[in-house]
Amino acid sequence: MQRFIRARIASWARRRQGADVLPVTMHYRRIYILPTRAGWGFAFLLFCMFFAALNYSNSTALFLTFWLTGFVLVGLHRCHRNLLGIALQGATAVPTFAGGMGQLELTLENPAPLVRLRIEADLPGVAPSVTDIAPRGAARLNLTVPTTVRGRLLIDGLRLTTALPLGLFRAWTWVYLPLELIVYPRARGLLPLPTVAGVTRGAKPHGGSGGDEWLGLRAFRDGDSPRQVAWKAYARGAPLLVKEYCAAAAPERFFDFERLPNLDTERRLQQLAAWIVDAENRGERYALKLPGGALALDRGAEHRHRCLRALALHGLAPVRHATSIAR
Amino acid sequence: MLWSTAAFAAGALLNVDRIPFWATALLIACAAWQLSVAAHKLPALPRAVQLILTFLLVTCVFAVFHTLNGLAAGTVLLVVMGSIKLLETRSRRDRYIIIGAALFLLLAACLDRQSLARLPLYLGTAVLCCTALVVSAYGGGGLDVRAAAKLAARSLLLALPLALVLFLFFPRLPGGFWALPASDEAVTGLGDTMSPGSITQLIASYDPAFRARFAGAIPPAQERYWRGPVLHDFDGYTWRRGARQPIAPPSLRYLGAPFRYSITLVPDGNRWWLTLDTVVGSPDRRAFFSSDLDLVAREPVTQPVTYDAVSYTHTESSEPLSNFARRLETALPADRNPRTRELAARLRERAPTDSDYVRAAIDFIRTGGFQYSLTPPKLDFDSVDDFLFHTREGFCGHYASAFVALMRAGGVPARVVTGYQGGEWNPIGRYLIIRQSDAHAWAEVWIDGRGWRRVDPTAIVAPERLRRGILDMLPDAVSGSTRLLYATPLLAHLMQEWDALNTAWNERIVKFDVNAQLAMLARLGVHSADGGALVAALGTGLVAWLLWIAWHIGRSGGPPPADRLARAYVRLCRKLARAGLARDAHEGPLAYSARIARGRPDLAPRTQPLLVRYAQLRYGPVSGQAAATAIVAFERMVLRLQVVRRPRAAPAPQRKSA
Repeated sequence: MQRFIRARIASWARRRQGADVLPVTMHYRRIYILPTRAGWGFAFLLFCMFFAALNYSNSTALFLTFWLTGFVLVGLHRCHRNLLGIALQGATAVPTFAGGMGQLELTLENPAPLVRLRIEADLPGVAPSVTDIAPRGAARLNLTVPTTVRGRLLIDGLRLTTALPLGLFRAWTWVYLPLELIVYPRARGLLPLPTVAGVTRGAKPHGGSGGDEWLGLRAFRDGDSPRQVAWKAYARGAPLLVKEYCAAAAPERFFDFERLPNLDTERRLQQLAAWIVDAENRGERYALKLPGGALALDRGAEHRHRCLRALALHGLAPVRHATSIAR
Repeated sequence: MLWSTAAFAAGALLNVDRIPFWATALLIACAAWQLSVAAHKLPALPRAVQLILTFLLVTCVFAVFHTLNGLAAGTVLLVVMGSIKLLETRSRRDRYIIIGAALFLLLAACLDRQSLARLPLYLGTAVLCCTALVVSAYGGGGLDVRAAAKLAARSLLLALPLALVLFLFFPRLPGGFWALPASDEAVTGLGDTMSPGSITQLIASYDPAFRARFAGAIPPAQERYWRGPVLHDFDGYTWRRGARQPIAPPSLRYLGAPFRYSITLVPDGNRWWLTLDTVVGSPDRRAFFSSDLDLVAREPVTQPVTYDAVSYTHTESSEPLSNFARRLETALPADRNPRTRELAARLRERAPTDSDYVRAAIDFIRTGGFQYSLTPPKLDFDSVDDFLFHTREGFCGHYASAFVALMRAGGVPARVVTGYQGGEWNPIGRYLIIRQSDAHAWAEVWIDGRGWRRVDPTAIVAPERLRRGILDMLPDAVSGSTRLLYATPLLAHLMQEWDALNTAWNERIVKFDVNAQLAMLARLGVHSADGGALVAALGTGLVAWLLWIAWHIGRSGGPPPADRLARAYVRLCRKLARAGLARDAHEGPLAYSARIARGRPDLAPRTQPLLVRYAQLRYGPVSGQAAATAIVAFERMVLRLQVVRRPRAAPAPQRKSA
């Protein structure tokens, strides 16, 4: 019942607010506030105190009751203020393999010179994540989203809440971003990597300046040349990293959906995912061919993601009405 | 956890003198257990043990109070249940419950006593509870406790205006919703019986009985008789008020000037509204005017009460006394105090009229070697005989009792009046304070054609009693500390100031009721018989506070005020904008300057140095004192800048050809 009411209110708020675009600033018109259970209890307490004081015509007790009422109302405003003005600067859904835990990374910014206490982000059915935000500071919140099947996971019902400073009121806001989490097919398959289709020009990647093919970044090790250090990344606050190049000598693999005839679609996708992960780990170049399209030979995290994403969305309607976790 | 436990303990300790010692011991034990559990991660008490403990303790409370209802029993119950709750407090919800119990205990303390001296304690407990609430809400570590206390204190401060508005304008009830549980407090002050020695107990107490504030003249010391219960029935030892008889009070002729005053009673659980002898009538429907010319309240006085009254110190009545009243006021137990009867017969032989007889009795007391003493020997069963012919030593009660008995034995209607005599002037608060030690008893005799006359036999024996306080008369009557207090002028002065402050607190705050509210509105110029104006004022105040608080709290997070340089720059840009040269949002000062030079070459010589100066001050290597003076100079330059709108695209001058 409670969940039903909550869902109704959320959909009403959605119709009222419309969709959001980053960055989302918590304007007062989108902040809702209601007493918590403790708040209702406290209201009952104040009510009892009020009647006792009035019945005894006791000025001190009456004043005490009124004062506490004022205190609670100040708390209400402070609770509202605790959320007001916070800006959601970034929201990234980090993909995962089906059955794994997807991450929703939120970046919150506090433009005001006051500390924000216990700002909570949650999704229906997902454990909330809590942070304080320093005055004029920023904080990152990670929500862990469980996944079951490949495809798009629509992030719906993202909520930022706070009950501080008194815990008697809860202020919240719904953020309706077009956020979706790509869930790759489970990387599972027993078949070995298909035989090398390209010409092997020496499979040994070697660090150093000799290579002309960008391989990626790795952690700094003693003995690395300072010229290879990614100083720009270091300046941005990343740890000391070394740029790795290698000669374009790795084998090239062609993964084709049609070449796996003995399996059903899902198993084929899983097998392809497993190969892609494997090939990427070996540092090899690979291409993917699906009935709907193909991805040319390449390598790297971006290419891996595009390939896996293509697998994840294979056969799914392009329109965005995918599985919602708000079920 | 520490904070909610502390808040609860503070709330309970406010009531420490009203709860049994075992409840206090339980509280301390449970708090200590809770704290050690928190510190050493001990296992909690098993649930069954808690339940049994709870049941036992509730039974104990019931056994002691014979009820679980009412303020006293409820307070103890709350302390006991809260202490048990401390044992199992784990979650945030438990902490909220504990804090709620602490607030209720604070309320109980307020309901019980609202003296000024306890106010700081109440205040401290309230702040403690609110801090505990903030700390509990945050939960876990990481919160700076000092910040939490500051937050609670600031919030309370912000809430204060609302509390005042609600307190002043929230319509009060004339009475309660339901009958208050009967008070089980001991009743002090004047009783409705008097036996030898009963007044002596009162006199040992230096507590205030009531305070009287006069509008106009104050009666002289020897006229300050404050009338309390009148006693009619005598059994030979004890005087009683007796059953109420439907006697109409005699019609009186008032002599002299009236005294107008208001009295604030200290609640003592009795029903007497003390008045200056003789009051004209009842000022209030909460008390009725009895045939004894005193005021009797309908409800026992358990809260401070204030009433206005008008009195005359001299009255006359030419009506005859009814036979019924005469029989009542001359009744004496037939078989008691035989020697008094003999004496009465002897005196009566030589006194033809009642007045002569009264005079003869007064002479007898004046010349009989009687002594005034607070520690007289105990009296015999026939107390009047024993006093008049044997001990001859006593206090006002003894004299009044013996004198009235002597009158009645001689056939003169007489009765005992109890009350207070005297009063100490407080020059700071400008009122008379009458203490329990001023308790007094005197006699009234009926003289045909003149009515009831006051005779104070104590004044005959010790006339200085009326002029001087009891303290001067009998220093041993009061405790050593009180004597010390009044022997030191500075301390005595401080005591008077403190009493004046207390009185103001009681009259202004504690006694603030619906009448006071309407009077306040009338002073503000709003005359309203019903609560309409109150509700309007309440609503206005409430809305004003809510707006203010929303503004105040919303503002607290706004952008910081721009620095002086930025303000001056904004002013400069605004001046230029008025001249039709608004700065674009993306434009830096130098680009802006260049654009002005292109568009309005006439202005450039004046604006360019300013904008360049701004860029230097903002981005250049100037700092410290030099920068500050440079900024002031820049501000002045901006102020002096005069920019005129572009002159109209110069219309071709039309020359009038002559």
